[in-house]
Amino acid sequence: MNIFLRELKANFKSLLIWSGIVILFTIVGFAKFSAYYNNPDMLAILKDIPPAMLEALNFQAFNLTTVTGFFGIMFTYFALLLTISAAMWGSDVISKEERDKTVEFSLVLPVTRSQVITGKALAVLVNCIVLNLVTWGFTIANAQQYTPDDRFNGFVAITMLAMFIMQLIFLAVGILLGSALKQYKRAGSLGVSIILATYFISIFDKLNEKLDFMKYFSPFNYFDPATLLQESRLDVLFVLLSIGIIVAALTAAYLTYSKRDLYI
Amino acid sequence: MSVIEVNKLTKYYGKSRGILDVSFKVEEGEIFGFIGPNGAGKSTTIRLLLSLIYPSSGSAAVFGKDCIQFGPEIRQEIGYLPSEVFYYEGMKVLDLLKYSGSFYKKDTTKRMYELAEIMELDLKRRIDDLSYGNKKKVGIVQGLLHQPRLLLLDEPTSGLDPLMQRKFFDLVQEENKRGATVFFSSHILGEVQKLCSRVAIIKDGSIIEVQDIATLRKDNYKKISVTAEGLDEKYFAIDGVSNLQKENGSFNFFYKGNINTLTRLISQKDMADVTIEEPTLEEIFMHYYE
Repeated sequence: MNIFLRELKANFKSLLIWSGIVILFTIVGFAKFSAYYNNPDMLAILKDIPPAMLEALNFQAFNLTTVTGFFGIMFTYFALLLTISAAMWGSDVISKEERDKTVEFSLVLPVTRSQVITGKALAVLVNCIVLNLVTWGFTIANAQQYTPDDRFNGFVAITMLAMFIMQLIFLAVGILLGSALKQYKRAGSLGVSIILATYFISIFDKLNEKLDFMKYFSPFNYFDPATLLQESRLDVLFVLLSIGIIVAALTAAYLTYSKRDLYI
Repeated sequence: MSVIEVNKLTKYYGKSRGILDVSFKVEEGEIFGFIGPNGAGKSTTIRLLLSLIYPSSGSAAVFGKDCIQFGPEIRQEIGYLPSEVFYYEGMKVLDLLKYSGSFYKKDTTKRMYELAEIMELDLKRRIDDLSYGNKKKVGIVQGLLHQPRLLLLDEPTSGLDPLMQRKFFDLVQEENKRGATVFFSSHILGEVQKLCSRVAIIKDGSIIEVQDIATLRKDNYKKISVTAEGLDEKYFAIDGVSNLQKENGSFNFFYKGNINTLTRLISQKDMADVTIEEPTLEEIFMHYYE
């Protein structure tokens, strides 16, 4: 419990910064949207862009001139921001003890290594939840000026849930990297690299049908915003796959961290 | 029951040696010195006792319990002072000490304030504003605030001024009188000489000797210095003489053996000056280090 509270406090500044980034991103995003909003010229421009490109950028399924359609396109960028923050928090919260050489204090206290991971993981989990809610809240608030249709709130809710699962996946992966890597300094950047790599996999996967099997390798493909809009529910298979990844990563993190030498 | 029992403990970091086949016991209530040059494996041994790292082979037990299996339980009663202290930088000293205290079953507040006063530690400052010596003081208070039954001190005095060193030694002795066992690792022999009853000497990862300080000095060399006319090196060419050096007309050497043989030899000449001294631990240990 004390580890959890201390980490919460220690990570608070970082949470503020990330919240600031997300808020700024929402504001800038919606400011751009005001140019597309109910603008028939925009639709004309989009017609000239090659369909494959539109597909890759998620423009195909959405009508960019409505606020629902606009958010469908923003989804990927919010997902990137939220997963990157999750992976960085996850890896940093564990590896910073070795980086700052505080292990000789924090792990000499009468605690098990599992207790350390649990306290820290819960603290960064709270961060992820708060950042998710901030994103959600500011999206809804910004959208009000553009008279969103009745589907909008439900659509945002289901996408934010999808995003939360993606956050959890990369949080777990980050914690695993922070716990297991000998080169703990690289844990954070490796986490971000994994996110970008899986993001690009998801793009190529959409461009080429032969690569369809690749969708299992990229959490960015697990929850397609267009499908979410049409069906208003998460794909069970991918929810289960996500839970599997999260459980596997966390188990591996607990096992390796409890068994390995700390780097002092 | 031994407080620390180390049995054939071996640690390799990849291929490089940490410690090899180290065995020793520390009994309840003693102040046990752990002496060796830098890189000999002193910190490795202590970190194994704290299960910060795990042995390649062998085992270690504290309070009769295996260090790995019962790590957290054992650490309830261990106070550790590392050679270099690192704490969470954003925190205030008081918050850090309270945080540390919150992990122990005892109430640590009262002892924390006592210790802070003895060590003249300002509790309101932030960790990152502290000098090296002041951080060390935080380490001392943090290591002692839960009144541990075992103190593990890893070169504890580096960074402390002589006055604080003395206060620290007084504290350690006080804790020892209270019943705490002390494991004192150092390469500064003077401080070990002052405090410890027994020492283990470690070199290149292996224990060379475990001895009472008293026996160590008794069984050892005498330091002899003689000044007389007409002496040369050959005069002292008897068994047991070593390190013979001529300096400003006097001869200095170590002697180990029957002291009467030597005094008879000396009495045959007309001496201007003779001194026979116990060697300092420094001189004894240089012999092991070499």
